[in-house]
Amino acid sequence: MAQVQLAILLTSAALVIIGLYSAIFIDNIIKKIIGISFIEEGANLFIVAIGYKAGGVVPILMPGMDTSWFAANAAYPLPFGLVLTSIVIGASTLAVMLALVMVLYRRYGTLSTKVMLADTSKQEEYNE
Amino acid sequence: MNELIPLMVIVPLMAALLISAFSKFNKVTKIFAFVVAICLPLIPLLSNYGLHYFGGYQPMLDNVTGVMYHPAITYSFTFLQQIIIGAVGLLTFLVVFIYLTKYKKVSGPYLFLLFLGTAAVTAMILTDDIFHMFVFFEILALAQVGIVAASSIDYSYEMALKYMILGSIGSPIMLLGIGFLLALTGSVNVTDIALAVHTGLIDATSPVFLLSLALIFFGWLYASGLPPFHTIKSGIYSKAEPHGAALLQSFTVVSMISIVLIMFRIYSSLPIFEVLVVFFSILAMILGVSLALTQTDFRRMIGFLAVGELGFIGLGIGLGTNFAITAGLFQALNEIIITALLFIGFGAVVHATNEVDTRKLGGILAYHPKVAIMLLIGGLAMAGVPPLSGFQSKLMLVQASLSCGFPEISILAIMVSIATFVVFVKTYYTMFLKPKPNDLDLEGKEVPRTMVFAMGVLLIIIILLGIFPDVVTSGISNFVGGIL
Amino acid sequence: MLEIVLCIIVILSAILALIQKDLLKAAILTGFSGGALAVLFQILLAPDVALTQAIVGAAIVPVFIALAVKKTQRSDG
Repeated sequence: MAQVQLAILLTSAALVIIGLYSAIFIDNIIKKIIGISFIEEGANLFIVAIGYKAGGVVPILMPGMDTSWFAANAAYPLPFGLVLTSIVIGASTLAVMLALVMVLYRRYGTLSTKVMLADTSKQEEYNE
Repeated sequence: MNELIPLMVIVPLMAALLISAFSKFNKVTKIFAFVVAICLPLIPLLSNYGLHYFGGYQPMLDNVTGVMYHPAITYSFTFLQQIIIGAVGLLTFLVVFIYLTKYKKVSGPYLFLLFLGTAAVTAMILTDDIFHMFVFFEILALAQVGIVAASSIDYSYEMALKYMILGSIGSPIMLLGIGFLLALTGSVNVTDIALAVHTGLIDATSPVFLLSLALIFFGWLYASGLPPFHTIKSGIYSKAEPHGAALLQSFTVVSMISIVLIMFRIYSSLPIFEVLVVFFSILAMILGVSLALTQTDFRRMIGFLAVGELGFIGLGIGLGTNFAITAGLFQALNEIIITALLFIGFGAVVHATNEVDTRKLGGILAYHPKVAIMLLIGGLAMAGVPPLSGFQSKLMLVQASLSCGFPEISILAIMVSIATFVVFVKTYYTMFLKPKPNDLDLEGKEVPRTMVFAMGVLLIIIILLGIFPDVVTSGISNFVGGIL
Repeated sequence: MLEIVLCIIVILSAILALIQKDLLKAAILTGFSGGALAVLFQILLAPDVALTQAIVGAAIVPVFIALAVKKTQRSDG
C-alpha cells in the first residue's frame, strides 16, 4: 500500500511544479491565478497524505469501537484539520485576486500581465 | 488576569466584523471604532504574563517517554509580547484616530482592514503554534492588500495585485515547509517541535529538515520584505495612504520577528540558519540604503530605508547570542515607532502640498515648523544619533557583532547608519530647507492637528526609550534567556 | 488502482486547463481537477476534507473563475 502514498506524493509534487511554472511563465493573468490555486492544492494534498495510514480507518470514533484498537488503526486527524482551514483560505485569496483582476481589466482592456503589472514608469508611458 | 490574553486578538477581530457589518451608521461606527482603538494598547498593559490554552486543554505528560505534549493552541504572553502588542496597539489607535478625523464619512471596510491586520499580527506574535501563525499570516496578507488597494493613489491596484500574486506563491510554499515539519514530528506546536529537535528525536541534518527550513525561510523573506522582495515591499508602502503605510510597516516588523523567533527556536542548532539570516539581512541593509539614495519619491525613499532597518533586526537575531537577539528585538520595537513617525510626518507633507516628488518641493520649514522639527528628530533617530532610541539599539548591535567576533559586520552596520543619515539629510534638505520653487503653493494649507498629535506621542516614546533603554532591554533580555 | 487513475486525472486536467485557449474551458477543467482531488481525499481517509474540497474545489473556484472570465474576456491572448 506504500504505492498509494508514493503516487499521492508524486501528484502533489507535480501540482506544485505545474503551478509554479504557470505562475512564473504564463502571461495571461487568469491562468496565472489558476496556476496559483494548483500550488495550494498540491500543498494541501501533501499535508493530507501525511495523515494517511495504509490500511487504517477514518478517524471518527463510532460507538462500539474499542479505543485501543481505534488508536492503533485510525489515520492521524491533525493534518486533516489543518487542510480544512487551508482550503478555505485558498478560495478566499483566489476571490480577492480575481476581483482585483476585474477592476484592472476595466482600466487596461487586456489580461496580459506584461501590460497590467509592468513597472509604474512604463505604465505611465502606456497611458500617454 | 490571564483571561485578557485571548481578548487581545478577539477584541480587534470582533470590532472589525461589527464595524464592517454596521458601517452604514456613520456616527455609531466612529464612536465604536474610537473606543475599541483606545482599548487596544490598554489590554496588553493590564494583562498578566502567562500561557493561555485554547479550549482549556492542559499540556499532557507522556508516561512512556516522559515528554510534555501541548494539544491545545497555546498563546504565550511575556514581556516581549507585551511591549510589541502595546506598540502596535498604540499605533493602531493613532492611525484610526487620524483616519476618523480626516474623513467625515468613514468607510467601514477600511476600518475593518486596519483592525483585521492588528488582530492578525497580535495573534502571530502571541502564538506558539506554527500553523496558527500561518493562518494569521495569510489573513495579514489579505489585510495588507486591502489597505493598499483602498488608497486613492494611482496604480495602487496594480501594486496590490502584484503583492498578492507573490504572496499566494509564498504562502503555499511556507505551508509545504510546515507540512514537512509536521511529517517529521507529528506536531505543529513550536515547543514540541523544538524539544524533538534538541533531544535528537529528529535527525537535524536530514535533507527533509533542511528542505523545511528552506521553504519556511522563503515565506519569511516574503513576509518581511527582505531581498528579493524589497522592491515590492517598499512599493506597497508608497502606494498606501501615509497613515496606512505607518501601520503596514509595523505589521511587517511584527510578522518578521514572530516568524524568525519561531524559526530560531526550531532551527538554531543548524549553523546554516544563522548564516542565511545574517546574509539576507546584510543584503537588505545595503540594498535598502543604496536604493533609497536614488529615489525621488520620498514615500518610496522611506520605504527603502524601512527595508534597510529590517536588516538590522535580522542581523541581531542571526548573530544568535543573548545580547545580540536582545539588541535585534529592541531595534524592532524602535523601528515600529520611528518609521511610523516618519510615514505620518511625510504624510502630513503630502497633505499640505499634494506633491511627492522631492525635486518639486522646498522651503516647507517656514510654513510647517512643528512637522519639520519632529520629522528631523525622527530621521536622526532612524540614523542612530544619540541620545535617541535608534542610537541605543544600533550601539547594542555593533557591540554584539564585535563581541561575536565579526568586526566586519559592525563596521558595515556603522557605514549603513551613516549612509541612512546621508540619505535622510539630503531628502530633508531638498524638502524643507532649499528655497521654495515658484510654482509650489503652500499658503493656507494646514496640517491636520491629529497628525501633529500622533507625531508628538511617538516622538515622546522615541526620546524616553533613548534615555531609559534599560526599562525595555532588561525585560527583553529575560525573554531571550528563556528561548535560548 | 483507482488512486492512480485519479492522480492522472488531477495532473492531466491541471495541464489541460493551463494550455486551453478558451478560458471558460480552463475554468471547467480546474473544477475537474478539484473534484478528482476531493475523491482522492476520501481515499486518504479524510472525509471531512473531501466534503469541503468537493464544494470549494469543484464548485466555488470554477464558478469564481468563470464569473471573472465573463466580466473580462474569454480568449487567451
